[in-house]
Amino acid sequence: MNRATRKLKTLAEHLLGQDASATEGPGTAAFRACERFRHTLSSLLGGAGYRALLGRALLLATAKAPELAGLQVSADGSLIGAIAVEPRSGSGLVADSEVVLIAHFLDLLVTFIGEALTLRLVQDAWPKASLDDLEVDKGQTK
Amino acid sequence: MSKHSAVPPHKKQKTLSSPAKVKIRQLASGVRGLDDILGGGLPEFSFNIISGAPGCGKTTLAHQILFANATPEKPALYFTVLGEPALKMLRYQQLYSFFDPAKVNKAIRFINLSDVVLQKDLSGVLDEIIKEVTASKPSLVVVDSFRTVVRKALGTTGETDLQAFVQRLALFLTSWQATTFLIGEYTEGELRDNPVFTVADGLFWLTQNAERNSVVRKLQIMKLRGQASVPGLHTIRITGDGVQAFSRTLGLSGNRPRSLKRRRLSTGIAELDKMMGGGSSKATACSCPVRRGRESRRSRPSFSPKVCATESRGSLPSSRSARWAMWRARTRLASISRRRKERERSSSSICVRSTSRWTRRCRRSSTQ
Repeated sequence: MNRATRKLKTLAEHLLGQDASATEGPGTAAFRACERFRHTLSSLLGGAGYRALLGRALLLATAKAPELAGLQVSADGSLIGAIAVEPRSGSGLVADSEVVLIAHFLDLLVTFIGEALTLRLVQDAWPKASLDDLEVDKGQTK
Repeated sequence: MSKHSAVPPHKKQKTLSSPAKVKIRQLASGVRGLDDILGGGLPEFSFNIISGAPGCGKTTLAHQILFANATPEKPALYFTVLGEPALKMLRYQQLYSFFDPAKVNKAIRFINLSDVVLQKDLSGVLDEIIKEVTASKPSLVVVDSFRTVVRKALGTTGETDLQAFVQRLALFLTSWQATTFLIGEYTEGELRDNPVFTVADGLFWLTQNAERNSVVRKLQIMKLRGQASVPGLHTIRITGDGVQAFSRTLGLSGNRPRSLKRRRLSTGIAELDKMMGGGSSKATACSCPVRRGRESRRSRPSFSPKVCATESRGSLPSSRSARWAMWRARTRLASISRRRKERERSSSSICVRSTSRWTRRCRRSSTQ
């Protein structure tokens, strides 16, 4: 795993941790995170654009975490299905496969629009999350 | 007689017409050289079209204008419609130096209308734009590409509906005090009878033409209501800093105020001043060809020291117009000299016109 991917996994864990304890919203933390992304990115990328991006991230993540095989992206861009039972990461609230999925999604965003813009969009989706503490290189895309 | 009737009719008329006319504020385009071409800047609250073939720099120009003007207090909305996907647009546009990631989703919001265009008709698209504009209260709005909206609409609706849509859109955005840019790939043949162009206040036409082995990009301001833009084709280029425009007139034309009555400078010879209508015009170069000798010293115009001190600093004229006049005079003299030399070379008999005749006449008139 390269350095950039490790950083993105840290960011994914951080974001999922924000929603892990929340009770409202569907499914697990990954579902809630994807809903946040959908809300923010659908207006920017369009419904089709967001669906394509999440579908690609899910495909890449399933190759590393087979527990995600039961998940699908619906026509409106929301995540449907269920994640198989699996070991939990650090805090115990977030599954490893969920972290892999979100990390891959972030990785795709970084690939296309760079870290600076990705972090800007993530901040919009999680307004209360403090991203300054995270060791993610900012502004390298410019 | 009443107090009011004592006022003469022409004075009454002056009082009625005295309220100031509307002042159209101009926005800096953020594009080097473009403000000069536009006649000062972009007219505020105008409804403009940026048009041209693919690769001319339409999107870059629109982005540059937005990033130069948008602030969190005066945000901008960028609607993307079935054209370049927003993801790719952001990927490439961020490479320009003017692109500030901190402004994305704060000062500039990108909204994808592709789904709305595909699913709804023109009024649905208008409703969506109205909804977003009402929520954000933007000072700048861009629709990229507007052409796709029109193309989709023409399949299902008539030209009248399209004109009504464009007019409602223009009316709504202007009343919400938004300066608008519609981006579209149009050809010159489509200019005629197109309702979009009729409604627009400004029409920015971008082209790129192959000239021998190179490609030259051009900009033409085909229409700009309320402003004296520089007509003609202006060269533009796209660099890492975005679009840069080079005025066809090199910035030498424009609306510099010039008084119709030019100030005259006395030559020092009263009669000569009278003949010249008060003296030599200010900020012009005057050539006095005289024969060498005593006459030249006597009749050479001698500007009063006071005038010289105030009007010319050093040996070169200070104002640009004077420098131009000096340059024109020099060129003319050089041309006369060249022609004379050619004549001398080609003909055995040399005919030199007496340059002192004019001087003698001046002297005669001044002594009379």
